[in-house]
Amino acid sequence: MTGEPLLSVLDLVVRFDTPQGEVHAVNGVSLDVGAGETVGLVGESGSGKSVTSLAVMGLLPSPAGRVASGRILFDGKDVIGLPERDLRKLRGKDISMVFQDPMSSLNPVITIGEQVTEILRAHEQIGKADARTRAADLLRQVGIPNAEEQLDRFPHQFSGGMRQRVMIAMALALHPRLLIADEPTTALDVTIQAQVLELLVALTRDLGTALLLISHDLGIMARVAQRIAVMYAGFVMETASTTELFADPRHPYTVGLLNSVPAIDDRGKELRPIEGAPPDLEDAPVGCPFAPRCAWRVEACWTTMPPLQPVAGGRGGTGIDHAAACHNPVTAEEVRGAAPLRPGFVPAPPPSGATAAAASEEPL
Amino acid sequence: MGRLALRRLFFVLFVVWGVTLITFFLSRVVPGDPARLIAGPRASAAALAHIRATYGLDEPLLQQYLRYMSDLLHGDLGISFMTRRPVTQDLRTYFPATIELTVLALILGVVPAILAAMLAARRRASGVDQTVELTAVAGVSIPAFWLALLLQYLVGVKLGWLPITGRLAAGATPPPRLTGMYTVDGLLTGHLGTSVSAFEHMLLPAIALAAGVYGLMTRIVRASLLEVTGEDYVRTAEAKGLSRSRVMLRHILRNAMLPAVTILGLEFGVLAGGVFVVEYIFAFPGIGQYAFNAFAASDYNAIMGVTLLVAIMYTLTNLVVDLVYLYLDPRIRYA
Amino acid sequence: MMEEAAVSAAAAPPRAASGLRGVWAFVRASWLNALAVAIVSIVVLLALVGPLLLGSKANTADFADILRGPSSAHWMGTDNVGRDLFARVVAGARISLASAALIVLLAAPFGCALGILAGTIGGWVDEVLMRLTDLFFAFPAFVLAAAIAATLGPSLQHTIIAVAIVYWPWYARLARSQVLTLREREFVLAARVSGSSTLGIVARHMVRNVLPIVAIQMSADAGNAILSISALSFLGLGAQPPTPEWGTMMAGAQDYLQTAWWFLTFPGLTLTFTVLGFNLLGDGLRDWIDPRLRGVLRGGRV
Repeated sequence: MTGEPLLSVLDLVVRFDTPQGEVHAVNGVSLDVGAGETVGLVGESGSGKSVTSLAVMGLLPSPAGRVASGRILFDGKDVIGLPERDLRKLRGKDISMVFQDPMSSLNPVITIGEQVTEILRAHEQIGKADARTRAADLLRQVGIPNAEEQLDRFPHQFSGGMRQRVMIAMALALHPRLLIADEPTTALDVTIQAQVLELLVALTRDLGTALLLISHDLGIMARVAQRIAVMYAGFVMETASTTELFADPRHPYTVGLLNSVPAIDDRGKELRPIEGAPPDLEDAPVGCPFAPRCAWRVEACWTTMPPLQPVAGGRGGTGIDHAAACHNPVTAEEVRGAAPLRPGFVPAPPPSGATAAAASEEPL
Repeated sequence: MGRLALRRLFFVLFVVWGVTLITFFLSRVVPGDPARLIAGPRASAAALAHIRATYGLDEPLLQQYLRYMSDLLHGDLGISFMTRRPVTQDLRTYFPATIELTVLALILGVVPAILAAMLAARRRASGVDQTVELTAVAGVSIPAFWLALLLQYLVGVKLGWLPITGRLAAGATPPPRLTGMYTVDGLLTGHLGTSVSAFEHMLLPAIALAAGVYGLMTRIVRASLLEVTGEDYVRTAEAKGLSRSRVMLRHILRNAMLPAVTILGLEFGVLAGGVFVVEYIFAFPGIGQYAFNAFAASDYNAIMGVTLLVAIMYTLTNLVVDLVYLYLDPRIRYA
Repeated sequence: MMEEAAVSAAAAPPRAASGLRGVWAFVRASWLNALAVAIVSIVVLLALVGPLLLGSKANTADFADILRGPSSAHWMGTDNVGRDLFARVVAGARISLASAALIVLLAAPFGCALGILAGTIGGWVDEVLMRLTDLFFAFPAFVLAAAIAATLGPSLQHTIIAVAIVYWPWYARLARSQVLTLREREFVLAARVSGSSTLGIVARHMVRNVLPIVAIQMSADAGNAILSISALSFLGLGAQPPTPEWGTMMAGAQDYLQTAWWFLTFPGLTLTFTVLGFNLLGDGLRDWIDPRLRGVLRGGRV
């Protein structure tokens, strides 16, 4: 990656104020997306990946959601604290977003045509007729037949896949520099998922748009992303190029994730989930949030969150731009077995006084 | 959609028939002897008998009802004992006045309600929100007649800003009749001064009525706004970088007002009750005052006529409102 | 729409609000709630205690003291025959509260009983009830109440009956929809399989699910009932003079507005505050127990 990254998130911390207390949704996330790059952000529900993307767009639900600290640099300028007026200029034009559920993400009482033309007319001086023509073109580009007629129809008259295509058309209409896609295919039928994903990849590639793809599905990442960041409980646990991550994972969580996905030749073998459950985000994180479920944990894991640091290279991987947040990373031999192979190694017990909940989690 | 409308229409007819039945028997039970009221306190027995025969007041109840229904189907609502005119003519004279009054009251109530609701929804759960909530509850808690009297006294008498009785100044001539609504007719026929005067006469009673409208509307619109603002498509609209006004008007309000439209039927009910009292206080010659006088005079035909009119209007309004709502929602229109 | 909201309301158990701690939590939840409780408490207190303390002052005319303004002797001044207005207003509180209580206690059980019956038996009984309530709903509430009151003859008792007659259909509908949704619920089907009768099951579960909703509606209706009684009395259809009903007093005060503003103002102010308190209480209770009920219950004024 050469030059300044297009998007640079630095130590982002996001909190939500709820009647039940503060929710620590994002606890110090740093990631970069270069111009034209496709980066995958992977993690389970509650890992903070969607919240991160909303923060980038300045769309955190307010006043409950707020950025507590950190910076989000787009093109070198900090987006946090930017006045609403300037944010609106960015949104849709330089950074745009595709959401998970296309049915609820489209206004049910306004025609598709109007929803597409309004983004054009919001950012450019363009007449109604011209906007309509361009809207029809956009629909054609995303593979919607009879584009001209479809402009006058309503979202409920489209299928899920078509609606998502419309969302993509709207998002790419003004050739943004960065497109954030939050679980774009999760709500679609399996057969349609591949098509829509293909479309997304092809269009962003042709337009040179950087793509931040958010998903819980590693399979999608493997196919599409150039680099991947793995999130857990509001932290980035590991980042690496896609091939490197799959070939040479270092963080115990990543290892667990990769091993929990059954391979086609695993027939007859037991599934290997990661034991335990993610932590409650209402509690402020103490130490590494994965510690209770981690087979590699050492004493330090209970008390201090390790920073995201570059890993040592030369284990079959290049080690370039590969970083992991771990006190005790996994070694090459241990990757397959999903358990430490060091003789006499016992996962460090929680320090006395640690929460009973943490102690009750069994490691791998 | 057509089938739905048809079913509702049958429903309206059924209700109307039920209304005629109820009001007929109710009105016949109202104490007082209309024959005496017509003839005067010193009429002879023969005169009273004659009047009773003319108006069919001596026939058995069922027969009176059947006679009434057959007249009704011919569009004849009978003669009012008080005014000596056909009830239909009375209604044609007085109903437009009430229409203009209630329309003005609706506008004066709904517009501030929307604005207040937007303000409250914006700063949810804040002091502003709760204050708006308080004003809304106050709006439905203030007795319309008390507010009317206060307005009449403070604004009309003490400050002298607005007139306090009637539709026009005493002795003034109404504009040529097109719709029967003085403000509209005045504008259409070029009698601007009359139009303005009519408007001034309606203002105080309309404000007295608007308080209840405001109270009801504000809370509904606020709740609706909050619900819509949390919807995903609003987030999409924001993500597209649309201007704040566009997001508010086209995406939020447009969807939020949909459920509020159904409340309009309820508003009509609130207004109908208030009109009764407010017209009485301001001596505003509309249906409300007509009804009041009719009750006081035990004027059967007038009572029936007014009640029928009100019930039909109420049911029809609800029907229209429901149909409009169905029409406005494309998910139903293009199912 | 009402039916769906009623379903979800039936699904959620009402918020625990036991005893004084519940009341304190309710008050602390919002200053509007606190205001509501304060107003209602004061009015109830006045209604209960006031006439005992003030005794016959409400009815003692003193022609030497006609239409005097507020003073230390007469906090709210005197009326057109020299009676102490404050005493009369307090007496009026008792009348209004008692009337409202009567109305609600007449309409609610009667309406609920019919609604439960219709919902349980179904068939033509249900149809008849639905058409009947439709007919009642075809009239604007106040107009209907006025018509009934006029028919029966002007008196306070008749207006109470009239307003109760106008209110009961709503309770019938409410109870009926609750029963209908309960009937479809699985635990009812399971109980029936084991031999219990539908009525027995419904009766047992009704209390837990229906009571909160009905209670909220009753408190909301209390405020509107007071308003209706006063409006009807103002028109001459309700309590007759010299009964110190607020509406009746204000009818008498109309002519003296210019010379004795307090005569009209104080009863009206008290009426407004009382209704405000009850309305706020109804709203607060509804939000407290289940905010999803917002669209279900009758609001606004009669």
